[in-house]
Amino acid sequence: MDGGHALDKAIELINVSKLYPGVSALTDVTFSVKKGSVHGFLGPNGAGKSTTMNIITGLIPPTGGTVKVFGEDVQANPESARRKIGFLPEHAPLYENMKVSEYLKFVQSINSLRSTVNSDDYLETLELCGLTEVSHRLIKNLSKGFRQRVAIAQALIGRPEIVILDEPTVGLDPKAIVEIRELIYSLREKHTILLSTHILHEVNLICDHITIINKGIITSTGPIHEIQGGEEGTQIILAEVLNWKDELRPVLFRDLPLEDLLVEKSGSDTRLTFKLKGKDDYRGWISDILVKNQCSLLQLSKQTVDVENLFKSATAEKPTKGRVQ
Amino acid sequence: MIKTWLKGTSLLYKKEIKDSFLSPFVYILSGLFIALGGWVFFSLLVSAKNATEATLTASVLIPSFSLYRFILMIICPLLTMRLLSEEKKNHTIELLYLSDLNNSQIIFSKFLSSLTIVVFMLGLTTLFPAILGFSGYSDWGVVLSGYGGLVLLCMAYISIGLFASSLSSNYVICLVLAIFMMLGLWFLVLSAGNTDNYLVGLILRYFSETYHFESFARGTVRSFNFVYFFSFVTFFMFLTGKSLNSRRW
Repeated sequence: MDGGHALDKAIELINVSKLYPGVSALTDVTFSVKKGSVHGFLGPNGAGKSTTMNIITGLIPPTGGTVKVFGEDVQANPESARRKIGFLPEHAPLYENMKVSEYLKFVQSINSLRSTVNSDDYLETLELCGLTEVSHRLIKNLSKGFRQRVAIAQALIGRPEIVILDEPTVGLDPKAIVEIRELIYSLREKHTILLSTHILHEVNLICDHITIINKGIITSTGPIHEIQGGEEGTQIILAEVLNWKDELRPVLFRDLPLEDLLVEKSGSDTRLTFKLKGKDDYRGWISDILVKNQCSLLQLSKQTVDVENLFKSATAEKPTKGRVQ
Repeated sequence: MIKTWLKGTSLLYKKEIKDSFLSPFVYILSGLFIALGGWVFFSLLVSAKNATEATLTASVLIPSFSLYRFILMIICPLLTMRLLSEEKKNHTIELLYLSDLNNSQIIFSKFLSSLTIVVFMLGLTTLFPAILGFSGYSDWGVVLSGYGGLVLLCMAYISIGLFASSLSSNYVICLVLAIFMMLGLWFLVLSAGNTDNYLVGLILRYFSETYHFESFARGTVRSFNFVYFFSFVTFFMFLTGKSLNSRRW
């Protein structure tokens, strides 16, 4: 393998499997996280997200397969890999009786026994995560949002190249969710981020790559825009007209790479849903045809397959290997 | 290498000690221990017929060490039940696993912190022999040997408690497990007394910590008593390490 190409992948999982007695938690999980990307890891509860993340960090070993961090095998060299990863597990590992600054200093101390870490690292992390004002407060007295910030801060101690966040916004109120999201967004410049979440809107906002897992099998992985476009480059265009003429249907099928056309009457308007093959923008063509035939075009827009629908379709059916169609 | 190991162990040890002494739990236990210990000592002292040096040793000090032992059989599991189970319950064990600390540092620092608390508690009870000292008692060899035996016994109980604490994230289960393991060891001596086979009786007695502790309490210490306690602690620490590793798999 090309060394440069390997280093372009911050994390690489090759045919990783995990078997528990009587249960296969992961089956041939293969995906990679591009260096510098924010990678969303999606799946329903019990799909294997946390297991995968625990395997990447070296907390649990895989039954089979290989995990590489910047081309280095995690199994063969766990310490080196661990040093490159900051991890926020599903349950925030907080010592509630400690003050925020004391906790981060402790985390820094136990993480710098075999390496040199800037002694002011925890102070910088406090500032980076917006915790300076609560640094002298006991963790148990903090709000959930601040506690989650502290948990993220511990993952950032030592400035790891990769930050893995397992459901960082779960159980938070909407305001705290936005704050944590902004914090994660601010980290993207300096870290590669692997993020598991249930909030699909969040994925749309901050991730550039996604992987969907269901029942321990990867159902879809790649850049978000490619997945949203579909493998065949299927696109959906929505139009609203005042005067729909049914005789236009064969004309549209003739002139456009139409797969399907759905016509719905809604009051005096008619809603048209064009399902087209290919990646070209056909809005101009559709507009020309509808205007030329005096349909009184009211609205025309291109719909992307949002992550929510993608997630639903990827997890609803029995999973099969490869990309979602 | 050793320096790094010691540094990591001392980091976690300091945190544990700080946590313990900031919690009222340790002070409540210490208060109960000294109150019970004081009552035991006073009762034995009152019941001692003639206050000579020999009778004070035989009828006050040696029995009081044996009775402290029973109190410590409850105190030690209460102190150790949370050591690893709390880390598991709060998921902070993952923080330790992902750090530069290894299992031996985690186990040893937890063990030492509990031992420090127990030594602190025992230290409070030295007041009682000191009172005897003011009255002219001077057989300090037995006192030293008795306290040495109690410290070694506590080391054994803490190692059992630490192992029990690694088995579950539920404190009560850990507490019950530890007490049952200790009772099991105590019953070995009773079984040893009931068997007709001399060799089996000897082996059972050797495996019971009561037999070895009594040597210390009487001031008749043998080198194999030390060997027993150190191998006991090493064995349970080894089991704790195995238990921690198995949880990761």
